[in-house]
Amino acid sequence: MKLEKNKWTLKHLRQHLQFAVDLELWTIPFYMSAMFSIIDRSSKAFQLIQSIVNQEMLHLQLASNVSNVFGHCPNFSAPKYEGDKIPHLNFRLDTPDPRKKFYPASAEIGPLDEKRINSMCLVEYPEYSTGHEPALRDTVSEYGSIGDFYDAVEFGAKQLANDIQGGINQVDFFAAFYRDFPQLTVQDSGEGGFAQVALLIDAIRDQGEGRKSNELIKKAFRNTADDTYPKESHYDKFYQIREDRLPPTYPLKQVGTYTEDDKNLQKILVNNFNFLLNALQSLFSGGSRDDFLPVMVSIGGNITKCWKNGVLPKFS
Amino acid sequence: MLEERRSSKVQLTSDHSVIEPRIQERREKDMSSSSKTVFRLHPTMNFARFGTSQEYYLSPETSAGLPIEGGGDTTGGLPIKAGTENDVITSGDLRDADGNLKRQAARFRIFAYDFQAPERYPEGGDIEVVPGQKLADGRIVTNIVWTVHLANKKANAYNVVNSEGLGAYADGKVPQLRNPEEYGTVDSPARLRKLMIDAGPRTIDSAQGGSVEFNAQTVASYSDGCGGIREQVDYPQSFPSDNYDELFQPCGSLDSLGEIRTDEKGRLLVLSAFGRTAATYDEYGDPIPLTGDLNNAGWFDDAADGPVSATLVFDNGDVEEAFGAWVVCGDPAYAPQIRNIVSVWDDVYDSWIRNLQLQPEIYDRNSGGFNEHYKPSFRSDIFPIFRAPLLQRWTANLPELAIRAHEAVDAITESDDPSKTIMAGLTYIRNPNQEKELNVGVPLMPLSLGEAGSSFLAVSKTQYFFLEQWDKNRFEPGSGPKLGPGEYLDMASLSNCLGGRYVPGIEVSYPVRQPDMYYMDRQTSGSGPFRVKPKSLDYAKATREKPFLGGGWIPLHDETDGLEPGDVSKFMAIPWQTDYNSCSIHQTSINTAGTETATGSPLTLYWSWPSQRPDAVYPSSEVVQGVLPRQVWSIRGPGTLTTDPKSAATFQKPLQAVKQWDQIGIILQDTVIEGDYPADFYLEVGSQLPIEGQSVYSVAAWPFNANPPSATNSEV
Repeated sequence: MKLEKNKWTLKHLRQHLQFAVDLELWTIPFYMSAMFSIIDRSSKAFQLIQSIVNQEMLHLQLASNVSNVFGHCPNFSAPKYEGDKIPHLNFRLDTPDPRKKFYPASAEIGPLDEKRINSMCLVEYPEYSTGHEPALRDTVSEYGSIGDFYDAVEFGAKQLANDIQGGINQVDFFAAFYRDFPQLTVQDSGEGGFAQVALLIDAIRDQGEGRKSNELIKKAFRNTADDTYPKESHYDKFYQIREDRLPPTYPLKQVGTYTEDDKNLQKILVNNFNFLLNALQSLFSGGSRDDFLPVMVSIGGNITKCWKNGVLPKFS
Repeated sequence: MLEERRSSKVQLTSDHSVIEPRIQERREKDMSSSSKTVFRLHPTMNFARFGTSQEYYLSPETSAGLPIEGGGDTTGGLPIKAGTENDVITSGDLRDADGNLKRQAARFRIFAYDFQAPERYPEGGDIEVVPGQKLADGRIVTNIVWTVHLANKKANAYNVVNSEGLGAYADGKVPQLRNPEEYGTVDSPARLRKLMIDAGPRTIDSAQGGSVEFNAQTVASYSDGCGGIREQVDYPQSFPSDNYDELFQPCGSLDSLGEIRTDEKGRLLVLSAFGRTAATYDEYGDPIPLTGDLNNAGWFDDAADGPVSATLVFDNGDVEEAFGAWVVCGDPAYAPQIRNIVSVWDDVYDSWIRNLQLQPEIYDRNSGGFNEHYKPSFRSDIFPIFRAPLLQRWTANLPELAIRAHEAVDAITESDDPSKTIMAGLTYIRNPNQEKELNVGVPLMPLSLGEAGSSFLAVSKTQYFFLEQWDKNRFEPGSGPKLGPGEYLDMASLSNCLGGRYVPGIEVSYPVRQPDMYYMDRQTSGSGPFRVKPKSLDYAKATREKPFLGGGWIPLHDETDGLEPGDVSKFMAIPWQTDYNSCSIHQTSINTAGTETATGSPLTLYWSWPSQRPDAVYPSSEVVQGVLPRQVWSIRGPGTLTTDPKSAATFQKPLQAVKQWDQIGIILQDTVIEGDYPADFYLEVGSQLPIEGQSVYSVAAWPFNANPPSATNSEV
């Protein structure tokens, strides 16, 4: 349903920002699992997904920073990976509807296969320019693309610029990886702060989900360190993988044949992921960075260990 | 004075020609019995290091960065105070009263083994032998005659080819010769006479003690194999000043390759020279310019290497020859406790494991590879790999993520379930068996530059095997089979040196991985492992008319008759300072002849030798209230400022490196730094370079990039 008079409330904006965090967080285990299922770590697919995973972590940081300056410390709860449901996105609203092209798709954790790569393309499906104003809706489930969603968030943020309190629990782990990015946090309040908020939102849109078709990522938002293809958007990268032959992945055992050791690997991952969520919660509430960093790195190890033993990674 | 001393002690033998056969006969007889006592020098390879002072300290006898039993918080790798058994140096011991950097003497000891073929490794059970000591068989050692022969063949050697490494010697090829304007081959007498620095051998004994230099003023001498010392006045000594009327010698005359002396227990100390260089002049009367990092024509330095031998004399008249060792004189250790992820030990051990059946229970060539049932020991085989990353932050500008991750790696204990640790699945470890991964950067570690032809470093195959076994929960807690004290010295000495990425390296280069450099018959000869095989040299045949040494051993050419003096250091850069200076931070394409093969941005900079060649450091003088200051470049101050980050942390003009290498600071653990610092800091001390000015505070957080080739290339 369209928002009445295009008038945003702080509650409404904060709800949207929480959903932004939810969505960015959702992508990370999903993409990481597919990435670490690839046996050849030098493969182009591995490299491309890794660059996207890194940027999704950046997006999670940016969305959380924006949320914090609007007075909402985001919640980090375990994402759900069920059926073909990608949180808060309704692809039927996209024009053209991409679901036929990217079929079959699955939003369940799995190796890099046809279903997963289709889902990745769907998540990152470009926002086609309609020339219209952003669709402002009551519920975030009514956005067709993330680009559309972030357009709306930016619109709301501008209306509520006076509520911005810069410098609140701002986190930055990525500045050295984006040497041309002016600033990855929001330090100013009010109108000045809005320009910084808009910059962060633009980066998320431009790098991945919401970029307009056939455009390269803006120079300011390109990774300057560890991305072999820094100009390309997430969608373009996933689409390349989809068009190429998918690389071999670790074979999976039947769930019924899991040993106790196998189940233990899943348990370790679940526990560590919970620890990561708590560390994120603490981090964006002004807590220590020390706990967060090692456990974030460990998650990759836990996923790999699952795949190497033929076990499906599990996060909750 | 020297001649006087010599005349009082030298015992000349009447017939030299019978010496070698007698030694050989004795050995053969001994080997025919089921068990016998053999004597071996340890460390098998040791390192004397440059300084500018007459004073010195001793080579470390512990392994860099590792805990020392009974050593408290202080970790291994520290040099030892001269005149002591194992008192480690403190920050006050680095320089003499005039501020000159002290040299590091390489200390050699003799150990007795009860040898029975076939030998296993580790053997253990060895005991040190010093004069006055009574052996189990009742014999008492009365004297030890030490002989060392140092030479520098760099200027006559082949070029270092930084994109090819050992491959430059493959398929019967050799690289181009250095100083090609000097006509001839590597064995041409004219080239050898002009380009090789060779003082000849020098011998001293424990009974007389004293010291002797490797210079033109002392006479060549060698052990006669019967307990005496023989002078060789006809030895064709050769120094640059013999062949050039005028030389540019910015730090003093290059007139010595070092010195030997005995300590109070009769052990041998080998001191390096003073890190000096000499250059010829061009036709305009200017010193030949330094035009590169590795192969500067017209230049000499006083690095050297060569065999170390010992003859033991007993009270019953017996004389026995110990299996010898090798000494290398070269760069200072600027960060002695910062452990290399891959050290020379890791490379040499890996080579012996996979090529020479060192421990068939780990790797058996006959059954096709690593034994998947083998259980490495956590403390000896796994933990050193976990400890090394932790220490990198003290010499490189690591990002916070890396520092925290490395702390988590170091915190892993033998009681941890590998699956629950940050190292689970070896997700972030570059697999040396997967060649393609050698060009994959983040997230694979180590994230420093790799060896010739590949972008990034990988642990050795044996290190990786140990990690794999650990990851599969197949490991033993504790330290595993105990090394004997001599064997421990071998390991410790090599583990304190730069491995993995040589190009060409700091102490030694790629050839250390070659089996034919060593005694390969250790299971029957009694030599023990890791022992460089010296070429048999008959000094009695030396004449002034022609050079005594030749071009010498080269790798991959099936040369198995051993190495001559100078055959290790000749693979290093000339002069050494230009390579040390330039090997700070680079784009990966430096390893691949300019071709981009690495993942990520081609402009991103990585560390070349981060453990051994400090890049970014924390000066101890800037620590306030236990809080670390900003990092500064280790090489800084006037002449170091650059507009391109890839040239940071270096003297911009190589001649400055030749002149000022001794002013660079040393990284030591806070526990041996005078002052009150937190226990786990490793800080820079003793630097004579300034801590003020624009060139100092320009250390960027990693990742940081080189400037693009042209500003017009940047896209908008």
